[in-house]
Amino acid sequence: MPEPSPTLSRRILGAARSALNALAVPALAVFTALVVGAIIMKVVGGDPLLAYLGLWQGAFGSVKALSETCVWASPYIFAGLAVALAFKGGLFNIGAEGQLQVGAVTAAWIGYALPDVLHTSLPAVIHLPLAILGGSLAGAIWGGIPGWLKARTGAHEVINTIMMNYIAVLMAGYLLNGPMRNPDPLNLSARTPSIALSARVPRIFANPDLRVHWGVVLALVIAVAIWWLLYKTTIGFEIRTVGTNPDAAKYAGISVTRAIVLSMALSGLLAGLAGTIEVVGLNYRHELGFSTGYGFDAITVALLGKTNPFGVVLAAFLLGAMRNGATRMQFLTQVPTDIVSVIQALILLFVAADAIVRFIFRLRAPKEKMVLTRGWS
Amino acid sequence: MRKSLFPVFALLVVVSMVLVACGGGAAPAPTTAPAAPAFRVGLVTDVGKIDDKSFNQTAWEGVQQAQKELGVTEIKYIETTDSKDYGKNIAQFGDAGYDVIVTVGFNLTEDTWTAAKKYPKVKFIGVDQFLSKDDKHAEWPLANLVGVVFDEDKAGYLAGALAASVSKSGTIGSVLGTDAVPPVWRYGEGYRAGAKSINPNINVLVTYHNDVGFDKTFTDPEWGKTTGLSMIDKGADVLFGAGGKTGNGALLAAAEKGVYCIGVDTDQYYTVPEAQKAMISSAMKLETPSVFAMIKSAKDGTWKGGLYTGPTGLAPFHDLDSKVPADVKAKLQTIDKGLKDGSVKTNVPPVKPQ
Repeated sequence: MPEPSPTLSRRILGAARSALNALAVPALAVFTALVVGAIIMKVVGGDPLLAYLGLWQGAFGSVKALSETCVWASPYIFAGLAVALAFKGGLFNIGAEGQLQVGAVTAAWIGYALPDVLHTSLPAVIHLPLAILGGSLAGAIWGGIPGWLKARTGAHEVINTIMMNYIAVLMAGYLLNGPMRNPDPLNLSARTPSIALSARVPRIFANPDLRVHWGVVLALVIAVAIWWLLYKTTIGFEIRTVGTNPDAAKYAGISVTRAIVLSMALSGLLAGLAGTIEVVGLNYRHELGFSTGYGFDAITVALLGKTNPFGVVLAAFLLGAMRNGATRMQFLTQVPTDIVSVIQALILLFVAADAIVRFIFRLRAPKEKMVLTRGWS
Repeated sequence: MRKSLFPVFALLVVVSMVLVACGGGAAPAPTTAPAAPAFRVGLVTDVGKIDDKSFNQTAWEGVQQAQKELGVTEIKYIETTDSKDYGKNIAQFGDAGYDVIVTVGFNLTEDTWTAAKKYPKVKFIGVDQFLSKDDKHAEWPLANLVGVVFDEDKAGYLAGALAASVSKSGTIGSVLGTDAVPPVWRYGEGYRAGAKSINPNINVLVTYHNDVGFDKTFTDPEWGKTTGLSMIDKGADVLFGAGGKTGNGALLAAAEKGVYCIGVDTDQYYTVPEAQKAMISSAMKLETPSVFAMIKSAKDGTWKGGLYTGPTGLAPFHDLDSKVPADVKAKLQTIDKGLKDGSVKTNVPPVKPQ
């Protein structure tokens, strides 16, 4: 029996160490944020231990809680992947919120209005994929426009995606209050009619209390697909190369314009999927009050996940668990649910300024710095 | 490696000790039931905060009043952050076996209906939630669900009486959403009737925002403001704005031109601060006493499922209190009393006659 080669065991050990190392800063950032959050709660007169117990119970305490955590995680996975993919391409997509909105609006319209427009009911095998495709394409266009502007004119994507957010959110508000509003005279809310049964993603369990749907599974599949795209395909290589050094990429014969537009369009597509899945998988309609800002939380998710697709999935579940558990936390302690936003902001702070975490916990600085965006040049 | 990890470990220990010390004060869980028979009331807000100076807050004040005066043992609220959570938040109280659950706002109508069927032992108070028997609600009325609704015509009547009393020009105006929505129609016609009851010769300009798509009608502050300004040009010196942002536009027009305005639904002195100096009052749906009355009925056994018509009234005069003569205040109180006991009638039909 041959001895396992020393190089192999060393490699495994090295991989484990680097994985542990990669997890260290995010994990410690979360921990530090929870500690600071506890201190804040204590100062404002809350009971941090009971609050965190509630957060835990609400997120993982029962099958129903677990199901709701998955429900919350699914838009975070899609939107987090969106922001992370743009980061890989050296772009900062702050426009996920807007891309998510146009995705949701489009998917809802296809879901409830298309059968009427075509004067026929559609089978689910056509209707549902159409709704998902339509929603994600709308997101891709919404993200692709700032990408094209950046590639062609150099207009900075941060500014353009923020502006596109306003257009999308206000346009959605107009549509939901006007043309797309459910015309039922008893309906006083700004929401669309329910989408057709044929456009709905089925739930995994028959129990109506368990709202977890196949969209969550789709999110995981897409995460693997994005990892494959980024690390195993030429397109992914081009995106990453342009993200790290566009000049070198250009010398290597990569079309920088194409890579930028593609990154932004793909990013928008993923964000559009986040909105789409919420409509076709969970709410079965679009309405005002639909998003608590998934598109902005997605930035936290992407950074906490270190822009790695699998890291994003972990981060999305963490944030989803916190948002979901907040209800139980408030029920037990009457601590405002806003504390979750505070903790989330602290996580972002500690992840972004990782020197703080490294200083507190005496961690060595990494050899190479992760470059997210190229700034304003 | 060992050397570099030690401080980390030490810090973790210290921090967790601090944490335990922080939480130590509240060791016994506050959820343990007291000896007296528990009566617990939970409230779920619409997307927004408990101190929104609007429906969430006024409904919660009704719950708080019930705790003070009725011996409700425990009250709690959950603030909804995302509309997908309405059902989940209601279930939090339902699963815990609360006696009464208050849900605030018409956006929760369907989720409250579903929850009422799921938790038949829990009594539900749906604030501002109108339901009737139809295809989707064949079981209506449920024994454990009360929808709290309001007579908007009475609130409008009071606003009209106030407007006619303080008007010097003999012309008053009202800017509203579409009259296809019955509550809006009742506000407008109540306003007209109330004004005429004070001064039969008064010129009441009432404009509904009818000629637009179904709900642009409530989100058109530009139109509301323009319409308000043109009414002021025609001599109106009091404006009543009722119809979401469209009505708020009229309030802003009044504030700009220095004439009085009257808000709607809640005390808009707080929700439209830009119009404070011109806001003489608001025609209010009184959530607080309605919620209180329903909790009381749940507690003393007089509860009956279906609809409950809550009281309406005028908001305080705030900054303009000194501009309202004492005899006008007395007159308004008489009218309010008459509307409540039925001796004063608005004669406004519930929906616009076709």
